[in-house]
Amino acid sequence: MPANLCITPDLGKEDMDPEVSTRMIILSSKANVSESEVVNFLHMLNLPLTIKWTCYGAMISGKDKYVKQAIKELRKLDPYGIFTKERGFAPGDPRRCRGHRYGPREGFHQMEKEFRILDYVGEALRNPREVEIEKKEPVSVDYFKEALESSFKEESNNSSDENKSEDDKE
Amino acid sequence: MVQIALVSCGTEYSGIQKEIEKAALKFGAEIILPEIDLDYINEAYEKFGFSAQSSSLKLMIARAMSIVEGKCKPDAVFIATCFRCAEGALVRNEVRRFIQNNTRIPVVTYSFTERTKADELFIRMEALATTVTRRSILAREKQEGLTLGLDSGSTTTKAVLMENNKVIGTGWTSTKDIIESAQTAAAEAFEGTGYKWEDVDGIGTTGYGRFTMGQEFGAELIQEELSVNAKGAVYLADCQKGEATVLDIGGMDNKVITVNNGIPDNFTMGGICAGASGRFLDMTSRRLDVDITELGPLAVQGDWRKAMLHSYCIVFGIQDLVTTLAAGGSKADVAAAACHSVSEQVYEQQLQEIDIREPLIQVGGTSLISGLVEAVSETLGGIEVIVPEYSQHIGAVGAALLVSGMGNRHE
Amino acid sequence: MVKVAIYPPNSLILADLIERKGHTPLALQKQIRQKIKDPEIDSPPMNITEEDPIKGLKYAAIEVPSGVRGRMSIIGPLIDAAEAAIIVDGAPFGFGCVGCARTNELSIFCLRKKDIPVLEVVYPSDEDETMLMVNQIMDFLDSLPGGGGDLEGEGNVLGESSEENLGGQ
Repeated sequence: MPANLCITPDLGKEDMDPEVSTRMIILSSKANVSESEVVNFLHMLNLPLTIKWTCYGAMISGKDKYVKQAIKELRKLDPYGIFTKERGFAPGDPRRCRGHRYGPREGFHQMEKEFRILDYVGEALRNPREVEIEKKEPVSVDYFKEALESSFKEESNNSSDENKSEDDKE
Repeated sequence: MVQIALVSCGTEYSGIQKEIEKAALKFGAEIILPEIDLDYINEAYEKFGFSAQSSSLKLMIARAMSIVEGKCKPDAVFIATCFRCAEGALVRNEVRRFIQNNTRIPVVTYSFTERTKADELFIRMEALATTVTRRSILAREKQEGLTLGLDSGSTTTKAVLMENNKVIGTGWTSTKDIIESAQTAAAEAFEGTGYKWEDVDGIGTTGYGRFTMGQEFGAELIQEELSVNAKGAVYLADCQKGEATVLDIGGMDNKVITVNNGIPDNFTMGGICAGASGRFLDMTSRRLDVDITELGPLAVQGDWRKAMLHSYCIVFGIQDLVTTLAAGGSKADVAAAACHSVSEQVYEQQLQEIDIREPLIQVGGTSLISGLVEAVSETLGGIEVIVPEYSQHIGAVGAALLVSGMGNRHE
Repeated sequence: MVKVAIYPPNSLILADLIERKGHTPLALQKQIRQKIKDPEIDSPPMNITEEDPIKGLKYAAIEVPSGVRGRMSIIGPLIDAAEAAIIVDGAPFGFGCVGCARTNELSIFCLRKKDIPVLEVVYPSDEDETMLMVNQIMDFLDSLPGGGGDLEGEGNVLGESSEENLGGQ
């Protein structure tokens, strides 16, 4: 097959059904569950879903309501380690699959970056805190003036010290 | 299969991705994307040094870097960004220069809109694919033996006979029946040289009628006009190395080709307005009752500022000229204003789409109108404009030159 | 419960957090799904055709590059539907829909000028900043109508679409 980027895919009925949605399930690196546990759990739910094991977790595809139900159950397994995101293309869709086109798909790099802070996000969710957002205001002109003057003073002191030491040498 | 790497931003969202691939496939090429990971994107982007805000442009830069560093080995590169995007245009040109300066991989650039269709891209993809497959032919810098070049354009057919790196005969006729017109032009070129059809070592054809002529005359080379005109122009202007721009303001349409070491890398063609064509000058000379050949020298004597045109339009603009004449304006000023109007409009419609590189080689029939050449230089801020000898026969010269690299049909 | 627009519109973290609080994230992927599943259109990979940048004229004038208008034809309807918005400044943008800085500037501006609650946070670079961002987002989501669901996902985590709920208000 030529490595043509724009393949008109030969999709099945389910792939073309707008009610069928696809979800990526992404595990943070500190998650209490493994990819295989997630996949097993999803199979045990016995919902009419396509389940795929992936490097970042899993991908499920099926009627929207079953997908949502599965996600709801799955989250209970590890609320702070399991994250999910919708995906536009069905699993293995040749228009986005790396196996059929050179170069990673567009969303990949962003997910890669967001994945790097998932552990922190999970931690923040586990221990919610009251936060106050402090807006930084520019300093007042008087304060700025004071700071400048004191830094000048310091500098002139330093340089006179240096002169002194040079004088000493002579 | 020739592999063309796509280095672009916005093609998918303008809905033209498929058109690009369709155009490539037609010429036996396939489009590929250089694969790179996130860390490499950042590294390549830092190394390149252009601070682009759009991440897709960073990706473009990284893809170009992966080609230059040999991580991806395409045969050719197609660089494209959205028309009217300033950031995109800057990156497009810098990436183009970067690849050309560091590799021998041919590059074609393009700025597209949602209206871009595969057939607009055909000539670029054909030029790119043939640059790859015919690199040795395009590298030819000297004509050898006795060769005939035929250029069948939409309005005129040109023939040039060359022998040992010299033009020895030329022919020119308006295009009617493709074959008959080619025979007429060729007969004119043979006249006085003592040679006949049977004597030539090779025939090269180009222009709209290249396939028809090529079949009829058994041409050794049938080549699109982009590569041929670019080659003909740099050969005649003695600019085979380095950069140049070829401008052809035609009777009906205009072409601008940018060239790097004799190989075309961008091209625009326009033909939506008669006011930006040789036709406008033709009409002016008729109104002034002077022959078209006299219009140029007349214009050089005049001052366009004294005959203001309020419109570029072939109807309303000419009307303004007539009004000026009626008010006692001089013919010279009117001729100058007409040349100025055409050059300004060519600039506004076309030259802005492309990065103009010096020198500018002006070719085609209108390059013989000195007033127009002067106006073009002035419009472009006084840049150097070269009009080589035989500039009106550029395609035929290019074809005759290139076919001489394809062997002698008598051997 | 409300529909919350997010920027970047394809963010995993934002969409996930919004769903946890029972709101509906207006994620890009749903829009893409509608497009690519249309059997009438054969313009892979995204099924975006010449028509889409023209639809984008609703958000940007004809003088704006086609790539911006094409992207806006996908992102714009999300902005139109938004009842609240979370914008993350300095987020790692992806390369597709959000790969164009001009589109991002326009989208964020459109969200800001809409008369809806908007939270703007900065993409974190360490653990403390992440803690701050996540808590800010969760507080904001709690403050929205129908917000305040718990993390365990009982009851309202994946409640039916907010349209029904809003209809009843």
